[in-house]
Amino acid sequence: MQRDSIANTFRVAILLCLVCSVAVSSLAVGLRSTQKEKKEEFRQQNILKAAGLWPTGSDVGDVDTKALFEEHIRPVVIDFSKDKLTKAFSPGAPEIETEAALRDEKLSKSIDGSEDTGTDIAGIRRREVYATIYEVREGDRLKTLVLPIRGYGLWSTLWGFIAIDFSNATDDPQSLKVAGLTYYKHAETPGLGGEVDNPSWKKNWNDKQIFDEKWTVQLEVAKNASGNYQVDALSGATLTSNGVSNMLLYWLGEPGYGPYLKSLLENKDGRTDP
Amino acid sequence: MAEQTPKQILLDPVLENNPITFQILGLCSSLAVTTNLNTSIVMAIAVTLVTACSSAAVAFIRLQIPSSIRIIVQMTVIASMVIVVDQFLQAYAFSLSQKLSVFVGLIITNCIVMGRAEAYAMKNGPWLSFLDGLGNGLGYSVVLIIIGLVRELLGSGKILGVTILKTVTDGGFYVPNGLMLISPSAFFLIGLLVWLNRTIRPNQIEKE
Repeated sequence: MQRDSIANTFRVAILLCLVCSVAVSSLAVGLRSTQKEKKEEFRQQNILKAAGLWPTGSDVGDVDTKALFEEHIRPVVIDFSKDKLTKAFSPGAPEIETEAALRDEKLSKSIDGSEDTGTDIAGIRRREVYATIYEVREGDRLKTLVLPIRGYGLWSTLWGFIAIDFSNATDDPQSLKVAGLTYYKHAETPGLGGEVDNPSWKKNWNDKQIFDEKWTVQLEVAKNASGNYQVDALSGATLTSNGVSNMLLYWLGEPGYGPYLKSLLENKDGRTDP
Repeated sequence: MAEQTPKQILLDPVLENNPITFQILGLCSSLAVTTNLNTSIVMAIAVTLVTACSSAAVAFIRLQIPSSIRIIVQMTVIASMVIVVDQFLQAYAFSLSQKLSVFVGLIITNCIVMGRAEAYAMKNGPWLSFLDGLGNGLGYSVVLIIIGLVRELLGSGKILGVTILKTVTDGGFYVPNGLMLISPSAFFLIGLLVWLNRTIRPNQIEKE
């Protein structure tokens, strides 16, 4: 039969693939801008959630995310490349698009074990030179600082935020506490590693301490967690849990935001500038 | 089986020959997404659309498909439809698509879709296949919506997010049934539906 001939099999396979791929990709391109908007809105929601500013119980759509974000959150761009991490731009500077920066030789550096970038324990290969972090202020005092973090889990890079509570900050690094942790983008196994999105697990992070008195990151995910530094691991998701620990170690440590946090505690003015 | 009228093709799978309660297909997603009615409805619509459109598309090209690669061809068509649905959800119902997570993508492996393409659409014309796919999708939807309704009502005292039974934690009287929020409850509910179905239609019980 002509239909079952080898030539026809190839013809049908190739034609079908062409038609389907053109249809799917043109749709994807057509919807990209709408999707991007939604993703940005979702990212802003996660910043608000990490900072504890998202009204509890309310769903997306009930809240005007953009208005809430602009009311409370002040994006600040910091520069990783300087000796001491400092604010590079005043507030109001455009936010850095991290994903684009990571593809740019000038805006990101490969993590090569040098003193500047550290070893790549988070499994992310490149680190941006400039990053946008988010301040929440009460009057002119810094209340919460929301820091973007990312790192490799089991299947994917997890992109998220950790919020640090400055309301009781003293000179002592132990006075810094976690205000919240959220992830807005990952592809971990739903029900196992995907439980990083579970609100009752995320609640465990609140009020955990981060550093010991020597600025070493002690905060981690651990089996049978105890004490002020440990959060219970996700069952059935050892590699995702390790990934979360590693990215905290990297981003809060010396190659990450550590020096900046240090400078904020040493220099109280940094916390109250307008 | 005698020749069916289009109306029968459409309505038969909804109750009589229901893909979940009679053919016991598509259980995975009906356990996973039915903790509340909202996601159930979206999933039901998505599966119905995919089943109907992919059946029609497969039927349309059925005379061209070489039998050696027919399953792959069906998968390709179904996968494309699923991606289309997924892209639309990401653009216009982002938070729902987050909640449904991989389960939209997994419609590809939903036995109902593939089953209808292979069992019906390969042998019938596009219009009848469309109706058949639509009917099976509706059959799936009916079960999903029933389960979603019961689980949301008993598990969190709400229907579509609106409080019906005020829970104790909110100062009401209702103690939520935690079992309803985890997957095994869907198994129990499907079991009860199968039981009900077989009590009404004893002819569906297999002979010993």
